[in-house]
Amino acid sequence: MSLAPALTRIDGWVADPGFGVYVHIPFCAHRCGYCDFNTYEGLDALHEPYVDALVRDIERWDGPTAPATSVFFGGGTPTLLPPKALGRILSSVRDRFGIVAGSETTVEANPETIDEAVLEGLLQAGFDRISMGVQSLAPRVLAGLERRHTAGKAVEALEAARRAGFRYVNGDLIYGSVWETPDDLRLSVEGLLETSVDHISAYALTIEEGTPLSTLVKTGRVTDVDPDVQAERFELVADMLGSAGYRRYEISNWARAGHESQHNLLYWCAGDYLGFGAGAHSHIGGRRSWATRLPRDFIDAVTSEVSTESGHEVLANDARAGEALMLGLRLVDGIPTVSFNQRFGPSGLQTREQDISALESLGLLNRDGSSVRLSVQGTLLANEVVGRLL
Amino acid sequence: MEQAHQRAIAVIAHIDHGKSTLSDRLLQLTHTVSDRDMTEQFLDRMDLERERGITIKAAAVRMEYKASNGETYEVNLIDTPGHVDFGYEVSRSLAACDGVLLLVDAAQGIEAQTLTNLYLAVDAGLEIIPVLNKIDLPAAQPDKYAEELSALIGSDPSDVFRISAKTGDGVPELLEAIVAKVPPPNGDPNAPLRALVFDSMYDSYRGVIQYLRVIDGSLSTREPIRFMVAEYDAEADEIGVMSPNARPVDRLDTGEVGYLIAGIKEVSIAKVGDTITSKKHPAERPLPGYREPKPMVFAGIYPVEGDDFPLLRDALEKLKLNDAALVYEPESSTALGFGFRCGFLGLLHMEIVRERLEREFDLELIATAPSVGYEILMTDGKVKVIRNPTDMPDPGQIQEIYEPYVSVMIVTPSDYVGTVMQLCQERRGELKEMHYLSPERVEIRYHIPLGEIIFDFFDQLKSRTKGYASLDYEPVGMNESNLVRVDVLLNNQPVDAFSTIVHRDKAYDYGKTMTERLRKLIPRQMFDVPIQAAIGSRVIARETVKAKRKDVIAKCYGGDITRKRKLLEKQKEGKKRMKNIGSVEIPQGAFIEALRVDSDAGTKS
Repeated sequence: MSLAPALTRIDGWVADPGFGVYVHIPFCAHRCGYCDFNTYEGLDALHEPYVDALVRDIERWDGPTAPATSVFFGGGTPTLLPPKALGRILSSVRDRFGIVAGSETTVEANPETIDEAVLEGLLQAGFDRISMGVQSLAPRVLAGLERRHTAGKAVEALEAARRAGFRYVNGDLIYGSVWETPDDLRLSVEGLLETSVDHISAYALTIEEGTPLSTLVKTGRVTDVDPDVQAERFELVADMLGSAGYRRYEISNWARAGHESQHNLLYWCAGDYLGFGAGAHSHIGGRRSWATRLPRDFIDAVTSEVSTESGHEVLANDARAGEALMLGLRLVDGIPTVSFNQRFGPSGLQTREQDISALESLGLLNRDGSSVRLSVQGTLLANEVVGRLL
Repeated sequence: MEQAHQRAIAVIAHIDHGKSTLSDRLLQLTHTVSDRDMTEQFLDRMDLERERGITIKAAAVRMEYKASNGETYEVNLIDTPGHVDFGYEVSRSLAACDGVLLLVDAAQGIEAQTLTNLYLAVDAGLEIIPVLNKIDLPAAQPDKYAEELSALIGSDPSDVFRISAKTGDGVPELLEAIVAKVPPPNGDPNAPLRALVFDSMYDSYRGVIQYLRVIDGSLSTREPIRFMVAEYDAEADEIGVMSPNARPVDRLDTGEVGYLIAGIKEVSIAKVGDTITSKKHPAERPLPGYREPKPMVFAGIYPVEGDDFPLLRDALEKLKLNDAALVYEPESSTALGFGFRCGFLGLLHMEIVRERLEREFDLELIATAPSVGYEILMTDGKVKVIRNPTDMPDPGQIQEIYEPYVSVMIVTPSDYVGTVMQLCQERRGELKEMHYLSPERVEIRYHIPLGEIIFDFFDQLKSRTKGYASLDYEPVGMNESNLVRVDVLLNNQPVDAFSTIVHRDKAYDYGKTMTERLRKLIPRQMFDVPIQAAIGSRVIARETVKAKRKDVIAKCYGGDITRKRKLLEKQKEGKKRMKNIGSVEIPQGAFIEALRVDSDAGTKS
């Protein structure tokens, strides 16, 4: 764990990316068919006890601490809870760990939960970045994805967030579903660009095992996604955002210069973070652990003063290096070899030299004197690349 | 018992036409098995049981029958194998008989295979007693089929026996007819011993048990004997009869049927059809009709797990003890690793061997598409025999290619004559004979290359005739054909397991089918993979597996990392198990799947 880092914003791979705190809010008004996140609908009665338990769990943390350089409230739908409750939790983070001044503090939100009062409350609570689950601006895609907001509401929420004073505003998109036409996607990107978002995450829809959508696909009621179509849609998104002045800095993330998501960069740099809440994951120096998934169990663990951890793994150094490659190569600028060697020792890359050269000659990896990165072709084939380097 | 009171018969019948049930009735009527001990399909069950630690196959059973004339007769019922692949064994069983019961279902009429065996019996000069069974069935048409049978064997419809083996109706009369009509054996009791081996089996305790009929002379226990064809000397450790259980005897006289245990360790040492004589007073020449078992169908058999190769080798060695017709030699394939090229009597034999290997030895196997043996006359005048398409020489060295033909007999309702003829023409058949058994049923005989039969011929015949046609075939020698080898190439590398030899006119179809099938089975790679079918260097069909464009985890954040890493690790493990053809990675399953389609289609006869 890094101690007392000075706050410097990063936009790519660094050996010492800081320390983050993640808070998981596992509640949604409706659980969408494609979603495989740890979230539940209809648990309104647990909202209050869950917040209490979160606060208590943060307060009682007795492991190593460091001032946070980024904080992220994700879900679920964090904004299903009142801003005051979120503020209480954020305060406990601040009290227990400290937050380095000016650190990025993100809250995820769904457009239908947002109005001016909520935005005001979130700002007062201390959030300065909002990440909006827009997903699409095409009605048939929103319907297919089971999203409950309209295109108009999404655009309005983004503009309201900017007006209210959020420093960073992100819009999430999901593309490449079977309900989407190229025009749907084009209009969605254009609509998003008309708002003043500074960051866009655009994800190809993945049919995750165990989701209702996956059942529909398996039973033939919904057509499976077509990787070739998704590759074309990726290029469409990349072209539009590129010409609008957004730089792609990760496989699925674009930002205006200086607006890259600090918290997510921490993940891609294989940095240290603590996660609080049901099913939240933590990573400290090669030890990955995760909390019990059910909100009820989480609350019970905290109430009965036992650990919420339900599992962990400790990675050996070579496995850490492999994992760092898996994560770091997602960044468009790749991994600077010198910093990588500093952190993991030279053997991390040396033992993989044969595979790296093979991938280079396949045109999937590029190397210049100082870094290794995915080629344009390799970007969409990252699994092939990483599969050989783990 | 003196010769005049001996009878040896076989029952020729199609499967399900009631052979086992008739045997039950005969065993009961002759009190060979008491009513108390009787169970359904008694002889079939006996095969599975162990007596005195050894398995006795009911290859022949002796019954004593007191006929209405007051005389007691010894009736031997000799079993015949029930499939086209074992036609030669059938002929040896018949050679041990004096007459046959031609048993036909009165609701279905005669089937092709029964017809083949009937012709064998006619050729052997045996007395033929036609019998219609299941006359108690509502669907029975005894008058119609009696006409058919009598026309076939040149008798009067009134000579056809009408029985129900199930109820026993008509069986006593049939038994009377057996002793009255079937002639006694006519061997010479004073001549040197000649006994015909008509069946054999391997028992792990006693070694090989041979079933024989004494044609001339007699055989005693402890007598030094000689297998005349094998030129193998042994001693008759034990001789005996089955009635129905094995019972040792001191002597088997002329005309008697029994078994012999002579300390032989492997059935291929002294094969079916061999003649046993006395070492002290040997016969001058063996009985006629011996033939070496000749494998007709070949396939590569490989373990799915390469590590199982030694197990497969041991398993084949063990099977060989019990199966004189099985031949095998090691071979290797780039696609499938190390395995064996095996030769079989036919498709059923192949299926039996494969099933036994998998079931009795717990092996998981993959077989290449079956092939036949070709003879190639080379430009330098030499003749080369090949059993694996990959051994075929370059077209430039080939003068002529000969392939085995079979005479195919099909019995079909006359409504389907056109359909059946069309199928046979498609398979390069040449019509030899067409014969109306009755106005509704036709016997058609074609000469067709065996290579055309071992694919889905039987399935096609069944499906195009709604299951009514039946099929049988026998080899009729080699004919010259315009054959080519079609290779399948992945990314310009030939995949040996898919090479095949086909008629030039069918090369394109084969190539197209295989390339299309493989396109669906081969996962997309990092580059375009051409799949080509080629004759020599000439490409006749081509498909492309387009390069993979997208394989990336869209979202990779904190919580997901362990899971995503494991997902990718699993993918990596999967790759390790893949076979590499050049730089193309192919899951073993794709080969198996591609080959399975053929074997499924080709082995259901």
